[in-house]
Amino acid sequence: MFREYFMEIARGIPTSLLLTAVALAVAFVLALFLTFLLSMENKPVKRVINIFLTLFTGTPLLVQFFLIYSGPGQFQWIVNSALWPLLSNAWFCAMFALALNSAAYSTQLFHGAVKAIPKGQWESCAALGLSRLQTLKILIPYALKRALPSYSNEIILVFKGTSLASTITIMDIMGYARQLYGTEYDAITIYGIAGVIYLVITGLMTLLLRKLEHKVLAFERLEVEKA
Amino acid sequence: MFFEYLPLMSTATLMTLGLAVCSLIAGLVLAIFFVVLETNKFVCVRKPTAIFVTLLRGLPEILVVLLIYFGSTELVEKLTGEYIEFSPFLCGVIALAIIFAAYASQTLRGAIQAIPLGQWESGAALGLSRGYTFVNIILPQVWRHALPGLSNQWLVLLKDTALVSLIGVDDLMRQASLVNTNTHQPFTWYSFAALLYLIITLVSQFFMRKLEMRFTRFERGVK
Repeated sequence: MFREYFMEIARGIPTSLLLTAVALAVAFVLALFLTFLLSMENKPVKRVINIFLTLFTGTPLLVQFFLIYSGPGQFQWIVNSALWPLLSNAWFCAMFALALNSAAYSTQLFHGAVKAIPKGQWESCAALGLSRLQTLKILIPYALKRALPSYSNEIILVFKGTSLASTITIMDIMGYARQLYGTEYDAITIYGIAGVIYLVITGLMTLLLRKLEHKVLAFERLEVEKA
Repeated sequence: MFFEYLPLMSTATLMTLGLAVCSLIAGLVLAIFFVVLETNKFVCVRKPTAIFVTLLRGLPEILVVLLIYFGSTELVEKLTGEYIEFSPFLCGVIALAIIFAAYASQTLRGAIQAIPLGQWESGAALGLSRGYTFVNIILPQVWRHALPGLSNQWLVLLKDTALVSLIGVDDLMRQASLVNTNTHQPFTWYSFAALLYLIITLVSQFFMRKLEMRFTRFERGVK
């Protein structure tokens, strides 16, 4: 019984992982772009981005899922447009919702890291006669490394967030678990197995990310050793 | 058309708020309990609690909610042989409180450790028991360190309440879907729900900033 349940639920693992990877990749690029825009210190641009950030960090992810998945269907002109095949696809919507949500949180993170860069570094770039954009190109990769420990958390959160995709008909780990519960009515075993699968994956991810942090942040420890 | 459903949405908003506040209170009590267990003298109490809390944080919230709602009925049936259905509201509060406590206990533990050991020692020197020192001397100072972390977790809790709609509590999210099935205007109603969540978040952010200012006023000096 255990084995059968496990085999059934495990079929959702690739979907969950793929969804996490694609959403994260899109979110990372988007967040990087938004961080650049935010750091350029242009008032109107900043205001627009801040509205986006407030919208996506201030509302539940579940609402965002439903809004993106079933919202566009209300407008006939969207249904008739060329975008409809994409917007009516549950997989695309789940990825899109997760990506936008994660992009909002990551932008806050990255922007915080950029603001935390010591003033002397901005000054030395200015002294070299670099423009704002050139300065950012140098300083943002540095800030990103510093932000990695918090970004690891975000990665785990996105993976946990994929479980909500089951509410819009996607068959991920949670989706198969819920389907199985619908026929077998054995909540503790079924959700227990799903829970163990999630725990093993988050555990492995945490371990790998900690290794990565150790590697990427090696330059900081060097400074400490020298001092 | 739009205005007909407003009373429904306002009751649902109250339901969401009630759910969040109940979970917050239960969660805070539970978090303090977790901290007490996690800082216990005995390793056989400390370790399992730490592992339990860590595991809890690795699970998706939706799984915890479903597990508690469907699992509780099953557990009672297995133990007593009776079929009792627990109210979704109660199960929702329990699930959200447990999730909140798992995260909040880390913040609280950090805040307690931020308080100098000398405070404990002076309590002991005055002949106060450990429990009395904790409740009357340490705990009032803890809030100051814990408040920024806790207020973030309150915002997370507020957003997690939406998950409880999946087990049938008539909160904002579920009411929005119910109205949507009647009106077939998903965009209008889901964005209206999102707007209400946003307002609650922004208002509570405002009050938390005030509260933080109050708690740290003596650190910043009197103007």
